[in-house]
Amino acid sequence: MNIIRAILLLIFFITPIKANTIYNIIKIPNLEIYEINTKNKLKYFYAATPFRLGIQKNIVCSNPNNKDLEIKYKIIYKNLSRYSYNYLKKINLKYIVMCENLSISELYTAGIPDNTMKTLILDINFNEDYFERVIHHEVFHVMYLQHKEIFNDEEWIKFNNPKFKYAECSTCTSDIGLEKYKSTKGFFTEYSKSTASEDMAEVYSHMIYLKKNEINQIRKIDPILNNKISYIENKVKQIDNSFTF
Amino acid sequence: MIKKIKASKSEKIILIFLVLLGIITFGTYLVIKDECLFVKNLDPKKISFKSPNNIAILNAPCGNVIIEFYPEISPNGVKRIKTLIRSNAYENIAFHRVIKNKLIQAGDLEFGKKGSLDYGKIGTGKSGLGTIKSEIDNSFNYTKGSVGLARTFRNDTEDSQFFIILQNEPLFEGEYTPVGKVLYGLKVLKKIKNQRNSEYVLRPDFISSFKMLD
Repeated sequence: MNIIRAILLLIFFITPIKANTIYNIIKIPNLEIYEINTKNKLKYFYAATPFRLGIQKNIVCSNPNNKDLEIKYKIIYKNLSRYSYNYLKKINLKYIVMCENLSISELYTAGIPDNTMKTLILDINFNEDYFERVIHHEVFHVMYLQHKEIFNDEEWIKFNNPKFKYAECSTCTSDIGLEKYKSTKGFFTEYSKSTASEDMAEVYSHMIYLKKNEINQIRKIDPILNNKISYIENKVKQIDNSFTF
Repeated sequence: MIKKIKASKSEKIILIFLVLLGIITFGTYLVIKDECLFVKNLDPKKISFKSPNNIAILNAPCGNVIIEFYPEISPNGVKRIKTLIRSNAYENIAFHRVIKNKLIQAGDLEFGKKGSLDYGKIGTGKSGLGTIKSEIDNSFNYTKGSVGLARTFRNDTEDSQFFIILQNEPLFEGEYTPVGKVLYGLKVLKKIKNQRNSEYVLRPDFISSFKMLD
């Protein structure tokens, strides 16, 4: 017993000092501050060198070049500036990590939300065509994780045609297109058909990204999407009554 | 008759060298032994304060650290720390987490007490008063000497542990509940024992006393 205790103490006292404040707060290594003085108090970091995360170190992301970072930061900042400090606080989002070639278990992804650490990791070069909308898609995931009690997948599934079935998981399908359907038929994109939460995130991101008249038009012609849009609208109001799409 | 032998020039030089060496060795020993030699220990009674009821004196191995609390910024956090100070709960509690020139953390009342220190659990102890809600909405500049309440990864888990920062930490704003600022005694804090390879200190220094001025 004493030997075990001695070994434990040894491990405890030879743990190297990671005196980096960012690491201490969000547990992601190799980050540096990009901008922290923002109106809605979001703090932007970037990967100075590649980092690995997770128990199995299966989350990997590389450091972007300065030019890309400069261009993409402006886009991310512009899009996230539409969220107030209070809204971000309610969904528990405070830190944005910018990096490139973000992957989980070798599957490339646009973002990784972590509501516990108040962090959203964004791949700044994920998809040039839908980059802005994808930012809001990932914001929704933070909100969804933070307010699981509010968003009900079973309730959501009932909006769809009874014959329709989502895939087992968001990476269990090869249908991952992000282009908006010309004829929506209950779904904004191919990726909407992957899982209920991805569908919700796609609806939310389109509600943010599209113009109000475009959304109204879709509501008129697509009863399923009309229900889905109303659902998201109501749930977001429950979280922050002052938020407007 | 004994013939007096005069010391040669080189012998005199060696003698002077040995005397000087002795003085330097003794002097160095005194300086190294007394690590608090150049640290000014302030007497709070000789200082006038704007709001004396928010002043606390933390006595560490090298002297007094005078802290002003800000109840208008974090009313519950300040109330908690004052309650614990008034019950002498912080006496003989370890400065268990020390990062040189960066941060000092203390206040684990359960596992950080002198005589019953538990290195395996230090930093996870409770006060018995329960946790309090984080107060992080008010603006606060976490500059050198700021005092905040420590917590777990989650908000609303503040209890008795507090930290004092020894460098500016702008990222702490909105993250940790601020309770006050060190007015005098940063040099005293810089002398608190730290460990080169670890944030956690083996055989740490202890708080001798922590009292309110009033």
